Amino acid sequence: MELALLVNTNLLENPSDFIRFVGRFHHLLVHLPIGFLFLAAITQFAVRWPKFHPIKPFLVYLWGLGALSAVLAVLFGYLLSLSGDYDEDTLFWHKWSGVAVLVFSLGCYYISKKQGENLNIPKRVLVVLAFGTMVYTGHLGGNLTHGSTYLLEYAPNTVRNIAGLPPKTEPRPKVTVLDSADVYLDLISPMMSSKCISCHNTGKKKGNLLLTSYNNMMKGGENGEVVIPGDIEASELFRRITLPENHDDFMPSEGKRPLTDTEVEIIEWWITSGAPQHGFVTKLDADNKIVETVSKYLGLDKYTILSKEVTPADKSIVDSLRNQGFIINRLMKDNYFIEANFSLSERAITNVDLDLLQNLKEQLIWLDLSNSGLKDEQLEKIGQLENLIKLNLKGTPISDNGVQYLKKLNHLESLNLYKTDVSEGLLEVLPNLTKLQKIYLWKTKVNDSLIRILKSENKSLEVIYKREEDFK
Amino acid sequence: MSKYHNFMQRPLSRREMLGICKGGFGALAFTSLFGAMPIGCDRPKNLAEGTDLYLGPHYLPKAKNVIFLYMDGGVSQVDSFDPKPRLAKENGEDPRKKFKVDATQFDNVGKILKSPWDFKQYGECGMPVSELFPHIATCVDDIALIRSMTSKFPEHTNANYFLHTGSGIQGRPSMGSWMTYGLGSDNKNIPGYVVLDGGLIPPGGLDNFKNGFLPASYQASILKAGAEPVANIMPQEGITNLQEEKLQFIKQMDNSLMGKMGEVDAVSSAISNYELAYKMQSSIPELTEFSDESKATKKLYGFDSDDVHTRGYAAQCLLARRLVERGVRFVELTCPKVEADRWDQHNNLKDGHERNAHAVDQPIAGLLKDLKSRGMLEETLVVWTGEFGRTPFAQGTNGRDHNPSACSMWLAGAGIKGGTIFGRTDDYGYRVIENEVSVHDLHATIMHLLGINHELLTFRFGGRDIRLTDVHGHIIKDILA
Repeated sequence: MELALLVNTNLLENPSDFIRFVGRFHHLLVHLPIGFLFLAAITQFAVRWPKFHPIKPFLVYLWGLGALSAVLAVLFGYLLSLSGDYDEDTLFWHKWSGVAVLVFSLGCYYISKKQGENLNIPKRVLVVLAFGTMVYTGHLGGNLTHGSTYLLEYAPNTVRNIAGLPPKTEPRPKVTVLDSADVYLDLISPMMSSKCISCHNTGKKKGNLLLTSYNNMMKGGENGEVVIPGDIEASELFRRITLPENHDDFMPSEGKRPLTDTEVEIIEWWITSGAPQHGFVTKLDADNKIVETVSKYLGLDKYTILSKEVTPADKSIVDSLRNQGFIINRLMKDNYFIEANFSLSERAITNVDLDLLQNLKEQLIWLDLSNSGLKDEQLEKIGQLENLIKLNLKGTPISDNGVQYLKKLNHLESLNLYKTDVSEGLLEVLPNLTKLQKIYLWKTKVNDSLIRILKSENKSLEVIYKREEDFK
Repeated sequence: MSKYHNFMQRPLSRREMLGICKGGFGALAFTSLFGAMPIGCDRPKNLAEGTDLYLGPHYLPKAKNVIFLYMDGGVSQVDSFDPKPRLAKENGEDPRKKFKVDATQFDNVGKILKSPWDFKQYGECGMPVSELFPHIATCVDDIALIRSMTSKFPEHTNANYFLHTGSGIQGRPSMGSWMTYGLGSDNKNIPGYVVLDGGLIPPGGLDNFKNGFLPASYQASILKAGAEPVANIMPQEGITNLQEEKLQFIKQMDNSLMGKMGEVDAVSSAISNYELAYKMQSSIPELTEFSDESKATKKLYGFDSDDVHTRGYAAQCLLARRLVERGVRFVELTCPKVEADRWDQHNNLKDGHERNAHAVDQPIAGLLKDLKSRGMLEETLVVWTGEFGRTPFAQGTNGRDHNPSACSMWLAGAGIKGGTIFGRTDDYGYRVIENEVSVHDLHATIMHLLGINHELLTFRFGGRDIRLTDVHGHIIKDILA
């Protein structure tokens, strides 16, 4: 058969390529016998009921279609198997059970044609055999393509136990702080899982290379080691992923989704730093640039305090603060973050109030103490409300001495100091407030040169320090 | 339920019967079960964990307050924010030869009419604004302009109801009522939803600002311009505690009525309204007293303008800022009564639009700048819109008729991406051809910025959980920061 094809296509320069090309149609054709034989089998049993008698005459054609498509599937499957990309053992069983499907379905067709649609014992046995082998073959085929772990990867652990598989590996908890990110488990391994192991797994094992674990990766493949710790030039893995995409050796091959530039950059850094199996990213020799890249890759730049689950605020504290003139509102339905607003109270804030607020430290993210008469020394207590995102202190008699206490508020995004006495003291505070986006400084003691410095130190900070006048 | 009748029914209903039998304690549980708000504008104190009585923002809000600048009558889009050079080229030609002309209200279709005003680009974003709004033009970098607003109604009254309540038919709750219902008000001494009456109540009347089927506490309170913003705001009783005693007596009577009838919104709202009115005697005079505002601030808003209407609207804008400062959730400003009708120039477009624009332009720009410098624009959403647009062709010779197929509007402040232009109209500014925005979309977006999921804030009425956006509404994501 193969020979005949070769003779017929002698114009082609590379016949084995042509065979591969044709062979891959197996994936398409293989679904036809599955569908036809499945339909034929259920029809065969269904026609026992009078309701389904009208479809009896079509049975023989269904078996015929099933058998014919099985012939094609087997033929193309054989061509595909010549590529040698698949696990030998599984392939052997897949091939021969496929042939069995063909034989049984031909048998069904033959008997249907000879004996009509009635179901006698030998026919029943044949139908069951055809159906059974088809299911088995299909399953093996799936294992060949997707890897043998694919089917039960997300199955409940009880199902996995029955199949003799180990319980599901608990997914790594989502990294929320860069300091806790492990270089292999949180960076390299997820990349391999999503981009590489569909071919380099125990089932397919292309190039005899396994990328399912650190040890296997270090072992290398048929051409030797692929990762040489510390030597990026000699690492075949890195060479393959950085080739031009149309290059023969480019990985991932066959048009599968390539690694992103960020992923390549991280792999490069990992290999250069000696390809360690374990280690926190920040403990390794990581410069600012790679730290930034990694936190972006892990989505840490979007992480805010709001991603944290907090417990409900103590109701008695909330009630007593409300009685003191605070307005306290919950800010979202799915979490218990709150805002506290003292700006509508007509009295000055006291230390007792501030002590009460400490109890809401975890939940409190917006605080409005405008015109509350807050003093410098009282800011020490405000500085301990670490989760604050918005802080409004406008119209209070605070100055440079007081704002120093705010250094620890590193979640702060908006700080309103309108109509306060702050000035150069801000220079010491603002570098600590890395998330700050807006600061209001109209009617304070800041001058133009200070504003210039603040703006140049943090380009993304919006400094509002005056009111635009009418143009006339 | 009897609470949905405008007038109290006397025959005892089954529910009222139950209410009486259950007594006070049961009645309390009854109201909570049905999701009604506790008495008064204050939001419920016990946002208990694990109950479904949650009211308040669904997700972290961007805006805490809304100032809705209502441009009553319908500003002409091609003369304000949507320049169309083709109108100048084809000025005087017959529009019916150029495009399909819809029926207009007055069926007096004239020639294509070019804009009497020139446009210039402003700000870093280069947004074009006409000569009508030289002051607002200086704020374009904070403004997200929508050129593709539409309405379903070509006539003022229905269009007003539609814009304010999401339904063209009278009787639905106003958006301000919905938002105070959903979020409550931070200030116990001033109502949560305030309309500043600049002189013109829009066609459709006060039903634009009503609570509809929501509890009566959520209707708008209307403050008039001038010395006495609220009628009888000064107590008339000579003896100090006489008024308190009177009120105490009325409350006692009302409570005993409620004891007999069970929870009736008309009565419970009346009780809370009396209480609020009492508190307003001190809060309102303080609010409308501008002596603590600096000269520079007043000048910025336009208090020293030659135009009496500019001065009037300036006071309204400043008052709006002061209301928002005091935690009022939703403030709507209606237009001043200039000598040329509302923005509804069926004739004398040039004169009428110029008068209206002159009255509002500087105060609005002043408001935006003032809010920004105080850090308030970060949590206040400012919305500027009319109920529909106007035709690019003349009505008669020098006016423009109603056009619900395209209208320009803008938003600024909390959560808004300044300097954006969203949506596009055809070459004449007659119809929307890209990114059409409906009133429901606007409502959904305002609610989104306040932290409310417009699909979740409902009130059961007539057997259905009704929303401000009914079954419509998509958040306009492109204008959000």
